[in-house]
Amino acid sequence: MTGKKVLVVDDEIHIVHVVAIKLRNNGYEVISADNGAEAYELACKEQPDIIVTDFQMPVMTGLELVENLRQRQETKDIPVIMLTARSFAIPKEQQEDLRISSCLSKPFSPKELLGNIEDVLYQKQVMVSS
Amino acid sequence: MRLRRILYAIVTTIVASSLFVGSLAKWQDSGPEEGWRYAGYEQRIPVVSVCYIVGAVGVICLGWYQLKLAGAVTSIAMLLQDKKGDGIGARRRFFTPLRMTKIDELYQAISKHFAGCNTRIAEYEKQIKDLQVQIQLSQRRGGNTEAIIYSIRDAVIVIDESDRLLMANEAAGRFFNFDFNNSQHKHVSELIGHDQSEFVDFLSHSRQSKGQATRKELEFSGDGTSKTFDCIVSCVYDQNRQVCGAIAVLHDITREKQIQQMKSDFVSHVSHELKTPLASITAYTEMLADGEASDEQTRKEFYSVIQNQAQRLNRLIENILNSSRIESGLIKVNKEPASLTMLIEEQLQMIKGYAEEKNVEVIGQKPIVFDQVYVDKDMIREVIVNLLSNAVKYTPSGGSVKIGTEVDEGASLARVSVTDTGVGIPEDEIEHVFDKFYRVGANEKQAKGTGLGLSLVKQIVEKVHDGRVFVTSQVDVGSTFGFELPLATRQGSRAM
Repeated sequence: MTGKKVLVVDDEIHIVHVVAIKLRNNGYEVISADNGAEAYELACKEQPDIIVTDFQMPVMTGLELVENLRQRQETKDIPVIMLTARSFAIPKEQQEDLRISSCLSKPFSPKELLGNIEDVLYQKQVMVSS
Repeated sequence: MRLRRILYAIVTTIVASSLFVGSLAKWQDSGPEEGWRYAGYEQRIPVVSVCYIVGAVGVICLGWYQLKLAGAVTSIAMLLQDKKGDGIGARRRFFTPLRMTKIDELYQAISKHFAGCNTRIAEYEKQIKDLQVQIQLSQRRGGNTEAIIYSIRDAVIVIDESDRLLMANEAAGRFFNFDFNNSQHKHVSELIGHDQSEFVDFLSHSRQSKGQATRKELEFSGDGTSKTFDCIVSCVYDQNRQVCGAIAVLHDITREKQIQQMKSDFVSHVSHELKTPLASITAYTEMLADGEASDEQTRKEFYSVIQNQAQRLNRLIENILNSSRIESGLIKVNKEPASLTMLIEEQLQMIKGYAEEKNVEVIGQKPIVFDQVYVDKDMIREVIVNLLSNAVKYTPSGGSVKIGTEVDEGASLARVSVTDTGVGIPEDEIEHVFDKFYRVGANEKQAKGTGLGLSLVKQIVEKVHDGRVFVTSQVDVGSTFGFELPLATRQGSRAM
C-alpha cells in the first residue's frame, strides 16, 4: 500500500502529527486539514485514497464532511475512517448509509488505525480489480 | 273533652236544680204561709221525689266522673314519671278517688318533668352551640384548604365522578386559560383546549382506573415555547371507599429538564474533552514504545507533547473539581496580597504557545505601580488563563487578544479586561455566557468546550472574592470579558 495518499483531518494538531508520522513511517503520503470545510476542499482537489477524520470539529463536523463527500461524483467513493471521542455517536444505520468504513474510539492506537487503513484499502483494491 | 265538660255542667245544673226545687218544696211545707202550702202540696209530692232521684243520679255521676278524673291524673303522673302501667294498674287508677295528695303528686311529677325538660333543653342548647362551633371550624378549615390550594404555584384541578370541575386554582386557570372562579361544574374538556387534550384524557383515564395515584410527564407547546409538566393524578374516595373524583397536580419541570439536558451535554462534552488529551498521550506513548520516533529530537518532541497533554488533562479535571468544590463551599481558600500584573504576566507565558499555534497575537500591558489585591493566587490565575484561552480560542487566525489592568482609586477597585477580535456573541446570548454548562449556540462549532470555564470564573470572582465579572460583545467585531476585584488596601484591614 505504499505511496497511497491519506487525508488526516482533526482540529487537534498533535493527533494529526502523530498519525502522519505513523503513516509516513509506513510509506504513505499524508495530507492534513484541521476542520471539515478545509478537508472537503482538499479532498476535492487532491483526491486522496482514504480519509481519516475526527467526528467533532469546528466549522464542519466529520459527519457533515462525509455527507458532502458522498454527494460529489469525484469524492463519493473515497473510503472514510472516523475517529470519535463519543461512543455510539454515529448510529449503525447512518454509518452504513454514508458508507463509513470503520469507527475508532479515542483514545486509539496508531497501530490499530494503520491496520484499519490497510484493511480498507485492500478491500477497495479487491473490489476495483474484481 | 269538651263534650264531657258540657255533660258535667248539665249534670251539675240538673243536680243543683233538683236539690233546690226539692229543698224549696220542703221549706215551703214548713213555712208560715199555710194557704199556699195546702193548695198544692199533695200534687207536688211526686215532683219532689223525682227531684231527689235526679239529684241522687247526678251525685253518682259526679262521683263517677271524679273517679275517672283521679284515674286520669294518676295515669298522667305515672306517664310523666316514665312508669309503665298495665291493665290492672289502669283499672286500679280508674277507681282511685281524687285526693289532694294525687294533685300534689301530679304537680310534683309535672315539676319534675319540666325540670327534666329544662335539663334536656340546656343539653340541646349546648349541643347546638358545639355544632355551631364545629361548623365554624369546618368552614374555617375549608377556607384555609381553599386558600392553600389557591396559593400553590403548581396547577391544581379537582374533578367529580363525571369529569366536571369542582375546584381549580389560579395557576391552573392561568395555564389552561380559563376563569378558575366561574368554571365550576363545567366538563374539563370544555375548559381545556384541544391542544392539551392529552392531559384531559390522562385525567379521565386515571380517575376511571381507580388507582391511588398515576404519574406522567406531559409536554405542552404554545406561543413558540414548550413546557414540560410532571402530572400526578390521585383519585378522591368517599366514606364508602368509592371513587368520587380526582385531583390533578401539574408541576412545571421545564427548568429541571433543561438542567438535565445541560448535564447530559456536559458529560458528553467533558468525556470528549478528557479523551482528547488522553488520545494524544496514548498515541505518543505507543509510538515511543514501538520505536517510531527515530531520532532524539523527535523523541523529545513526543515527550513534550505527552507532558503538555497531561497538564491539559489535569487542568480540565481541576476545573471540574473546583467548580464543584466552590459550589458546595468545600474549597480551601488561601488569600494573600498579590499583584495582578504579575499574575497576568505568568499566565501570558502559559498561553503563548497556544496563541502561536492559532496565529493569534497576545498583547500584554505595562506594569501598573500599585495593583495589589488580596486573593487566592491559584484561583485568580485560573480566572486569567480561562479568559485568555477563551479569547484565543474564539479569535480567528491573524486576530489579536489584549489584556489590560486599570485601577480605580476612588472605588478602590482593580479592573482586568481581556479584549479580542473574535467572532463575538449574539446579544440575546450574552446574559447566559456565565451560566454553568452554557455554550453560545452560534459559536459552538467555532471551538470545543465544556461550558464550565466562564462559570468557574464567575464563581471565583464573585463568590470567593466579592468581585464582579462583566462582558460586552459585538458579533464579528469581538468581545471584552473582565472582572473587578477590591484593592488590597480595602481588603487588607479585613485580612489582618
